[in-house]
Amino acid sequence: MNRSFNKSQPLRPLELDAVEVKSKYGAEFRRFSVNRVKPGKFEEFFKLIMHIHRIANMEVMIGYADVHGDLLPINNDENFSKAVSTAHPLLRIFIQRQEEVDYSNFGTNTLTRKKKAVVPLRNDLNRKRPHIRIGMPQDFRPVSSIIDVDILPESHRRVRLYRHGSDKPLGFYIRDGTSVRVTPHGLEKVPGIFISRMVPGGLAESTGLLAVNDEVLEVNGIEVSGKTLDQVTDMMIANSHNLIVTVKPVNQRNNVVRSSRISGSSGQSSDSSGSGSFPAITHSPSTATVSHSYAHDDLDSDEESDIVIESSVSRPSRRSNTSHVHLQTSSATPSPPSPPTRPQSRPPSVISTASFHSQPSLNGTAHNSLSYRLHRDLNLQQPHYHSTSTRESNGSLHKILSSLRTDPRNSLALPPGGVEEDGMVITL
Amino acid sequence: MMKFRFRRQGNDPQREKIKQDLFAFNKTVEHGFPNQPSALAYDPKLQLMAIGTKSGAIKVYGSPGVEFTGLHKDTATVTQMHFLHGQGRILSLLDDNTLHLWEIGQREQCSSLEEVCSFTIPCRTVIESTSATRVTVLLPKLNCDLLAVGTEGGGVHFLELPSLTLLDKSLFQDEIMQSVPDEYKCGKSLGPVESLQEHPQHPDKILIGYSRGLVVLWDLQTRHVDNLFLGKQQLESLVWERSGNSFVSSHSDGGYMVWSVSSSTPCTNEPVSSTITYGPFPCKAVNKILWRTAESGSPLVLFSGGMPRASYGDRHCLTILQDSQHVTLDFTSRVIDFFTVHCTDAHKFDDPSALVVLLEEELVVIDLQTAGWPTIPAPYLAPLHSSAITCSYHISNVPTKLWERVVSAGQQQGSLQTHTNWPICGGKNLAPDPKQQELMLTGHEDGTVRFWDASGVSLRPLYKLSTANIFQTDCDHNDSLTQAGEEEWPPFRKVGCFDPYSDDPRLGIQKICLCKYSGKLVVAGTAGQVIVLYLSDEKSDHMIDVATVDLLQDREGFTWKGHDRLPPKSGSVVFAPGFQPVVLVQCMPPAAVTAVTLHAEWNLIAFGTSHGFGLFDYHRRSPVLARCTLHPNDSLAMEGPLSRVKSLKKSLRQSFRRIRKSRVSGKKRVSSTLCEANAHLAEQDAEVTPVQRRIEPRSADDSLSGVVRCLCFADTFLRDGTHHGPTMWAGTNSGSVYAYALDVPSQEKFSEQSVEALLGKEIQLMHRAPVVSIAVLDGRGNPLPEPYEVSRDLAKAPDMQGSHSVLIASEEQFKVFMLPKVSAKTKFKLTAHEGCRVRKVALVNFSSVASEDYSENGLVCLTNLGDIHVFSIPALRPQVRYDCIRKEDISGIASCVFTKTGQGFYLISPSEYERFSLSARVITEPLCQVEFDRPHDSSETR
Repeated sequence: MNRSFNKSQPLRPLELDAVEVKSKYGAEFRRFSVNRVKPGKFEEFFKLIMHIHRIANMEVMIGYADVHGDLLPINNDENFSKAVSTAHPLLRIFIQRQEEVDYSNFGTNTLTRKKKAVVPLRNDLNRKRPHIRIGMPQDFRPVSSIIDVDILPESHRRVRLYRHGSDKPLGFYIRDGTSVRVTPHGLEKVPGIFISRMVPGGLAESTGLLAVNDEVLEVNGIEVSGKTLDQVTDMMIANSHNLIVTVKPVNQRNNVVRSSRISGSSGQSSDSSGSGSFPAITHSPSTATVSHSYAHDDLDSDEESDIVIESSVSRPSRRSNTSHVHLQTSSATPSPPSPPTRPQSRPPSVISTASFHSQPSLNGTAHNSLSYRLHRDLNLQQPHYHSTSTRESNGSLHKILSSLRTDPRNSLALPPGGVEEDGMVITL
Repeated sequence: MMKFRFRRQGNDPQREKIKQDLFAFNKTVEHGFPNQPSALAYDPKLQLMAIGTKSGAIKVYGSPGVEFTGLHKDTATVTQMHFLHGQGRILSLLDDNTLHLWEIGQREQCSSLEEVCSFTIPCRTVIESTSATRVTVLLPKLNCDLLAVGTEGGGVHFLELPSLTLLDKSLFQDEIMQSVPDEYKCGKSLGPVESLQEHPQHPDKILIGYSRGLVVLWDLQTRHVDNLFLGKQQLESLVWERSGNSFVSSHSDGGYMVWSVSSSTPCTNEPVSSTITYGPFPCKAVNKILWRTAESGSPLVLFSGGMPRASYGDRHCLTILQDSQHVTLDFTSRVIDFFTVHCTDAHKFDDPSALVVLLEEELVVIDLQTAGWPTIPAPYLAPLHSSAITCSYHISNVPTKLWERVVSAGQQQGSLQTHTNWPICGGKNLAPDPKQQELMLTGHEDGTVRFWDASGVSLRPLYKLSTANIFQTDCDHNDSLTQAGEEEWPPFRKVGCFDPYSDDPRLGIQKICLCKYSGKLVVAGTAGQVIVLYLSDEKSDHMIDVATVDLLQDREGFTWKGHDRLPPKSGSVVFAPGFQPVVLVQCMPPAAVTAVTLHAEWNLIAFGTSHGFGLFDYHRRSPVLARCTLHPNDSLAMEGPLSRVKSLKKSLRQSFRRIRKSRVSGKKRVSSTLCEANAHLAEQDAEVTPVQRRIEPRSADDSLSGVVRCLCFADTFLRDGTHHGPTMWAGTNSGSVYAYALDVPSQEKFSEQSVEALLGKEIQLMHRAPVVSIAVLDGRGNPLPEPYEVSRDLAKAPDMQGSHSVLIASEEQFKVFMLPKVSAKTKFKLTAHEGCRVRKVALVNFSSVASEDYSENGLVCLTNLGDIHVFSIPALRPQVRYDCIRKEDISGIASCVFTKTGQGFYLISPSEYERFSLSARVITEPLCQVEFDRPHDSSETR
């Protein structure tokens, strides 16, 4: 009684500014409270949790259940304060050991187990995958992005398609057509190249950034006017591992409104939201923006190193992939057992983060959610990266990646004596 | 972003100057036989011959080296051509009914052909149909001041020469009809004018022949009918007898008539004689007849056609008759026109010395002064396509020793004769003698390899090598047609070498490689045969060693569905002096050989097909290596290209002559104004399904990815940076490169020790585009010299101190990798930048016009758009770009070969090579002069 009084007594005055916390680690519960108005730093909170649960020398992940019952991570000040401020009435904290973290559970409604069906915009495809898995940010890799929003006319869109290691087809067709241009002599019909078809499930379709009847204006910076359909086809195929197409979308309603620099990326995120419902490549806006900065980076740089950047970025992952395939086919050696998907998906995200640093202008506070996601990206990536790199058999890959992390600008060029930038060499 | 690459290039004026001294693009000369000839003319005074073509080209030939070419503005068939004798002027009639006058102009010591003016016959009245004014025949008077023009309507118009102005003295049929007896008139028209011939003695009189058969001798001065000849058979052609006392007419029934002309009888009803040579059964028309008097006896009669319709109606024949001598020249293609070279001056007789026959596919010249009327080989207009060309190979700077041996082998074959008695010898060749001997080798569908002298303006045949005799084929090669012909009537004689019928398509030559120092030749064909030949000056009778190399290497699950291999002949075969087969390496499966190379110093050949590649030691006759490059999913590779083509039996072939349609040569000039383009686009809009192209990167399992595209030998650093040694490189269609380190025993130990090959490197190009060429560059970035060049002190030794590099050219990009690590050094992504794909590449040495000593090596590349790019090596910087071949001309692009000094050849038709030059210094072009006396220059009259 006394006890209960004692327990309830201090709670009452805190009713307005305290949040009750129920923290669960394994089967253990701890209850305490934090100040709703001034929750403090995440670091302090983390120490508190460690202390309360008596956890030492162990990497743990802290998560909480949000209002929808989704398990969300707490790993920085931002999401900590978000967690505290939205807790109602109780902040439920879940502590998991780093090794046991099932990232696929994050962000889904696993906690409430409501089995709420996803909005089935693309019924056929979703039916095959009843359960959406959204990977952790470090498992994301850019698949497409809108770039150069600031230098292009609003009616044009420059789309970059990344095809590193993906077994997904690029998946589109082009055709000849007629385009109307304004010339000194008035309107004139001129020949043009248009997207004629999308392969369902292909990369081009799944990005949602290209559509049938979009006019192709440029391929990797080279204008297509005056070139034949076959020439443009060859150019696109030759650039297929890093294809940048500038199109004039047939649907001009989703155009980026360039009121401010940063809203450009938000405009683009709203644009790509069409694809947001498509789970396999769902991208948070952060991915697109990160690669924007990354692309911007190499477009501005000297064109010589630009080629190198492209190849060195895509190369390490691809190399392991091609060598893998190659060994299978030509020399009939048993293929290395390492699963190819994980290492492939990792390097680009590392690089994106790195280049994010080199573009401080984008690190503006105006876009809160963006920067916080990027932070999360950065924080999560680090421990994870270490754990994978030890698993990674390719030592040189590791070297490149770690050098990229330390100084992205300089190390983007090839390390001398390292692996070649294009094509793999097996020395037997 | 990539545009900067080019901008930076053009900035240095000093570099621009050097480039101007090194590079210049010129299309210099066309070798071979004009495609689809349609008209022939000869000027006995200047001794020049002109050939017109269906594409509107005029080519004038004189003595060897004298050539002019002109092209009409419109692509229309040249139906007739006439020289204005002695004036260097040519009149041409096109099938659009326009007349054109051409002049040979003098420009800085050399002559060229230019069009001066053109003319169209106006319609007389509105009612008159245009066909009435359609020109049928032309007759320029011998004194060159008047041109008589016969029309379909039966009228004869007169034009002043050389201004081509219509004179008001046209002669219409009604005027003639007044003198024609009523019983001949029958109320019918006389038909079109078929022939106009000037009286050999009286320039004012012309003979007019009408289609219905009426022939009129018309006096131009008095405008009066001198004589009437009431022919009743449809007329084809007329020819005067030299004296003017008689003329000969040829007719549609296959006969010819001799008419006598005398002033006493103004109207002749019957000819002196009438003959149907190949009667009595119905015969085809005699299209043209010539009647030439000879001092030695009776006149020569030469006519084309007239064959018995039922039995030989399909033959292309020309008959020569003199007394009891009778020869029916049996050609393999249609007779276009013919003329004789004979005395035209005050001499009493014609005494023809030669007969020149223009056929659709070749030019045949008959020596009429030598008994038996043998043929005279032509010094130009070589029938390159006597069997379809399947590949070409060029050798620059041929050593004199090899040259002489090839020439002597050719002389013993009879394919090379002196041209001392060549009858057409006008003009002077001013071109300097070629500095070096060049050989062009063409591989043909019938298994022959022809050697041509490509040193100068005219491509001369030197030697012919046949590979068919070492195989057992479906058909014997001694055509029995000629033997059987002897007992036959008419007395046929096969003339000419154009033979479009392939005995066995498997014999076709795919690749050639010749070592010019050792005289060793490798020839590879469609059925996987790789033949090693040695040049020998003696006749030989020997067995050929046969080795079979399995390129599938026990790869499971593949069955070859294509053609069979060619079975080699058992027992020994007799070989004439020349290149004699020694070893036959048979690839299994017997797919067409796609790459071949030879290193005579190491006694090695390498060869590749769509299944893999092999290395063979032809000295020890032992295979060294076989490697399968086939992708497991590739199903197309197992079907030979000939799998659906059944080899035709000989009997079938004779009854159904499979005529290969000549590819229409592309001389169409595309005029693309915006209007037209827009109109074109408007049409396109209406179309329902536009052409689509799939955008997908190449994948490893694309079909035919295993095709070996190129092979190369090099002495370089593959294993480490200190020890160089023999290597062999192979590139495939899917961007794989295999590099082998070879262990080649020293010269003395060749017989004891065997060659060994160890796989050193495998390179997979990321973009997976087909590897077009591989070349190793030495420490200074120069291409490695050819075998023997260093050991015989013929070339500077390569730099073995600096690090070597390998230049790999794929269809999409060029890349230089450092050796031995194979680390990428430079690259140029041609396709990504320009949207064109690499078709042919060559390393070429360009020497400067400014200084004899200065030269640069360049990478020359022909793309699928038909343009040529030159890049510096090893920096791979773009230097120049020229448009060369129309991009639609796929066979032209496929046939292109480059020489080592910056020239090139490509086929503009199945029978013609266009020669071009990329070098500002090395140019082979006609330089010639024709001297003539031109009384009224067109510049004065205009």
